[in-house]
Amino acid sequence: MTDLSTITLGSNTDPYNQAAERGWDMTDASTLTSTLELEADVVIVGTGAGGGTAAETLSKAGLSVVLLEAGPLKTSSQFDMQERGAYRDLYQEGTGRGTKDGGMVILQGRSVGGSTTVNWTTSFRTPPETLKFWAEHMGVTGCSVEEMAPYFEHMEKRLNIHKWPQAPNNNNVMLQRAAEKLGYPWATIHRNVRGCLNLGYCGLGCPVDAKQSMLVTTIPSALDHKAKLIHRARVVRVLREGDVAIGVEAEALTPNVRGTTGQKITVRAARTILAGGAINTPAILLRSNVPDPHGRVGKRTFLHPTTLSMAIYDQPIDPYYGAPQSIYSDHFQWQNVDTGPVGFKLEVPPLQPAFAAGFYAAAGEEITQSMDQLDHTQCMIALMRDGFHEDSQGGAAELGDQGQPVLDYPLNDYLLEGVRRAYNVMLEMQFATGAKSARPAHKQAKHYMSWKEAKAAVAELDVAVHKATVGSAHVMGGSAMGTDPKQSVTDCDGKFHHLDSLYVMDGSLFPTSIGANPQLSIYGLVYKLSNRLASQFKA
Amino acid sequence: MQTDRRGFLKLSMVGAAALSTMSAGATLSGCTSSGPASGMKHLRPEDVELLRALTPAVMKGKVAPDDAAAIDETVRSFDTLMDDLSPPVAAGVHQAFDVLSFPPTRALTTGQWSAWSRASLEDVESALGRLRDSSIGLLNAIYAAAIRLIISAWYLIPENALTTGYPGPPKKLAEVAPAAAAAEGTMP
Repeated sequence: MTDLSTITLGSNTDPYNQAAERGWDMTDASTLTSTLELEADVVIVGTGAGGGTAAETLSKAGLSVVLLEAGPLKTSSQFDMQERGAYRDLYQEGTGRGTKDGGMVILQGRSVGGSTTVNWTTSFRTPPETLKFWAEHMGVTGCSVEEMAPYFEHMEKRLNIHKWPQAPNNNNVMLQRAAEKLGYPWATIHRNVRGCLNLGYCGLGCPVDAKQSMLVTTIPSALDHKAKLIHRARVVRVLREGDVAIGVEAEALTPNVRGTTGQKITVRAARTILAGGAINTPAILLRSNVPDPHGRVGKRTFLHPTTLSMAIYDQPIDPYYGAPQSIYSDHFQWQNVDTGPVGFKLEVPPLQPAFAAGFYAAAGEEITQSMDQLDHTQCMIALMRDGFHEDSQGGAAELGDQGQPVLDYPLNDYLLEGVRRAYNVMLEMQFATGAKSARPAHKQAKHYMSWKEAKAAVAELDVAVHKATVGSAHVMGGSAMGTDPKQSVTDCDGKFHHLDSLYVMDGSLFPTSIGANPQLSIYGLVYKLSNRLASQFKA
Repeated sequence: MQTDRRGFLKLSMVGAAALSTMSAGATLSGCTSSGPASGMKHLRPEDVELLRALTPAVMKGKVAPDDAAAIDETVRSFDTLMDDLSPPVAAGVHQAFDVLSFPPTRALTTGQWSAWSRASLEDVESALGRLRDSSIGLLNAIYAAAIRLIISAWYLIPENALTTGYPGPPKKLAEVAPAAAAAEGTMP
């Protein structure tokens, strides 16, 4: 690929530069000097895939909407494609979020737009196998393939989701070639982009607003429809009167969103919607001491535990440039649904240098000599589909000593066996396409020179928590929807089972993991639920 | 096999719990400082000493043991990174470093009997190897966190990122004079 560092980008695409002309009502809570008290028809906590979608639907229906976001408002004028600032400003805990035992790193967004501001634009409808499993085993109604289709269609059109028409970058080409060589089916990924320049910086905030994230689509639209956005405001609890939720209480955060200023924000609303994502939404419910007679809040949280393999080739790969994800293979994903070894999806990640170094998780010359060849490096990832097999029940969101969310999700033998299997699959694929050397993401591994050597080494590796490098960029579940309160937190409209006027509209509703990158699953489901809520409001 | 492994894990948990208790004792007994080192926002003097020793081993081939400037730059970058994490994560890093800095747990877990400032490169490599290969999950976790943060701190320095063959990101119009931008051809 061309050396993109010689290119200069304009920065005139930022819709927030016209905020004043468009009459947008936005408040940076860090600047508040007194308590802020507001009233609205609906308060929405979170501005990611769920909150953004709900905000557009409800504000367009004529309802008054207040949006609360714990992260800062950062827009394309500030997106400079430098890693440090992006990780600091746009990710939960500066990319330091992890599971309770530190066994998995969790990448989750935290700014206006949530994870949609930093995701890699990969868009899949919820797989039919997943929807069927929910209907048959998880008490979910109204979410069949046919029932969901119109909602997915709407959101695909809204966010310009389409099959990526340009050539994949070499990182993705290698996945495609390996699949072809070994006879695995593969396909081209659909992406939510408009006028994409194929740069590769989706994970650091799209510098030209080509990515159709919530930041540049539904949130501007909600603001046009008189929604009020308050950022740097972290919701502490849901307010209640008897069995009815009457709004939320939030605290103002400091400019760097790492501390509180002492100012409070109270929003009283006829309906409260939690959309903070699958770790923060259960945490708000836990902090609010909501009734939870069956102990379901925060349970069955899923991550698509993901491991990877790095390979070095003779030819240039330039894995930091170009649309991050354009090819995938589901060959190992649906061989079984809820029996047998865990299924996984094969994709590739973008490799900007600090991110790549973190992925390597090695020390000494093992890392520095590998990193010297980053421009010739390919990386494959395997995202395991957790929550289907009886040995995969996910983790539990709980509260730390300062009320902060903690996800307790120990990797068990079932998933660790999946990690070993994925190492083998990825290494074989990389050597099949002529890799000079390849290294599975394990602290005791090294670059192996042949598939034979790699296979023998993987058989001997102690695939244990911490030794195996496993992470997640997809947090799902923890406030599952379903008809049976013994099994779920909300009903199939997203309404909390045990209080009135309280709704969940984000990825925490999923009763299992999705088995695909989850953004479109969230958009489609929340578009459905928020339309239903809007119609109930009118009635 | 299965039973052996379970029994083994249980033993490891006991070991891990004992280690955290011992190193927690370090802070309580005043063996570790509570405040940051001078010029640092988060790193305490013993963290700086530890990181000065670990950096040339973790970044071998990039940072020489006698290159004080490169080591200090990495330590400063690490301090900035600590500021960018959440307070609970930064507190976890401090706890992990307590295990490595408090002399009894340092010796027990890494085999490093003298202060980190007196460790040779080989000593540090051996210490890192012990943490990495240990059967105690807590030590593997400390290893994973320490190396991830050190390598991130080093590669987050933009000039260092360019040593990988990465030419860097495109420029944004705001960063360059408009005339220069026009000459290079501005994309929309």
